[in-house]
Amino acid sequence: MANPRSLADSTALRDETVLRRVRQFGSARNGLQEWRLQRLTALALIPLGLYFVASMLWLATSDRVTAAAWLASPVPAFLVILFVLAGLTHAFIGLRAVLLDYVHTRARLLAAELLVRAAAIILGAASILAVLKLFLGR
Amino acid sequence: MQRPLSPFMFPTWYRFQITSTLSILHRITGIGLALGSILLAWWLIAVAANGELFTATHAFIASPIGMLLLFGWSVAFFYHLCNGIRHLAWDAGYGFELRQAYHSGYAVLAATAVLTVLAWLYVLLA
Repeated sequence: MANPRSLADSTALRDETVLRRVRQFGSARNGLQEWRLQRLTALALIPLGLYFVASMLWLATSDRVTAAAWLASPVPAFLVILFVLAGLTHAFIGLRAVLLDYVHTRARLLAAELLVRAAAIILGAASILAVLKLFLGR
Repeated sequence: MQRPLSPFMFPTWYRFQITSTLSILHRITGIGLALGSILLAWWLIAVAANGELFTATHAFIASPIGMLLLFGWSVAFFYHLCNGIRHLAWDAGYGFELRQAYHSGYAVLAATAVLTVLAWLYVLLA
C-alpha cells in the first residue's frame, strides 16, 4: 500500500486528515473521545457513587427522613441527577465494549447498541424527571 | 467454525490467575450494576409517584429477594469501584509490574470485603 510517510503526517492539519480518510489510508473511527469520557465519568463516579450508596444506607436506617423529603432538598437532588447522568453514560460505554466482544454480526451489533442506548436514555430521562418532580414539588 | 475444545479447561488445565479473574469480574460486576440501574430508576419513579407504587416498591425491596438483590448490587458496586481505581492507576501508568498487579489485585479484594462488611454492619446496627 503506497502511503508516503512524511514529517507532515504528524502535524497534519484538518484538510490533510480528511484527504487521508477519503483515500482510505486513515483509521475508520475515533475511539479516543469515548476512552476519555469513560475515564472522566469513572473519576466523577468515585465521589458520586460513594455519596449515593452512603445516602441509601442512611435513608434505609433513618426513621425521620423519608426518601421523598431527602430528594426535595437541592443538594441531594443535584448530586443524584449527576450520579444518574455519569452512571448511565459510563454504563453505556462499558456495555458497548461488551456488545462489541460478544455480538458478531454487524446488523445485530447495531440493533443491540441502539436498544441499549435507548434504554439508557429512557432510564436517565425518567430518573431525572422523577427527581425534578420531587425537588420542584409538583 | 466449531473447533474442538479440551473438556474441563477451567480449572484443571488452565489455572486461574488473579489478573484474569479480576478482569472478568470487573466486566460481570459492570453488567450487574448496569442492570441494577433499572431498579434505581424504578425506585426514583416510585418515590416521585408516591402512593401505591411506592409502598409496593418498598415492600419488594424490603423482602428477602429484594435484600438479596441489594446485597449483590452493593458487592458489585464496591468491587467495581475498587478495581476501577486500580484500572485508573494503570491508565496513569502505575502498577504494571506483575508483582504490583498481584498485590493491587489482592488489595482490591480485601477492600471490597471491608467496604461490604462496613456498609451492612451499619445497616444491621443502626
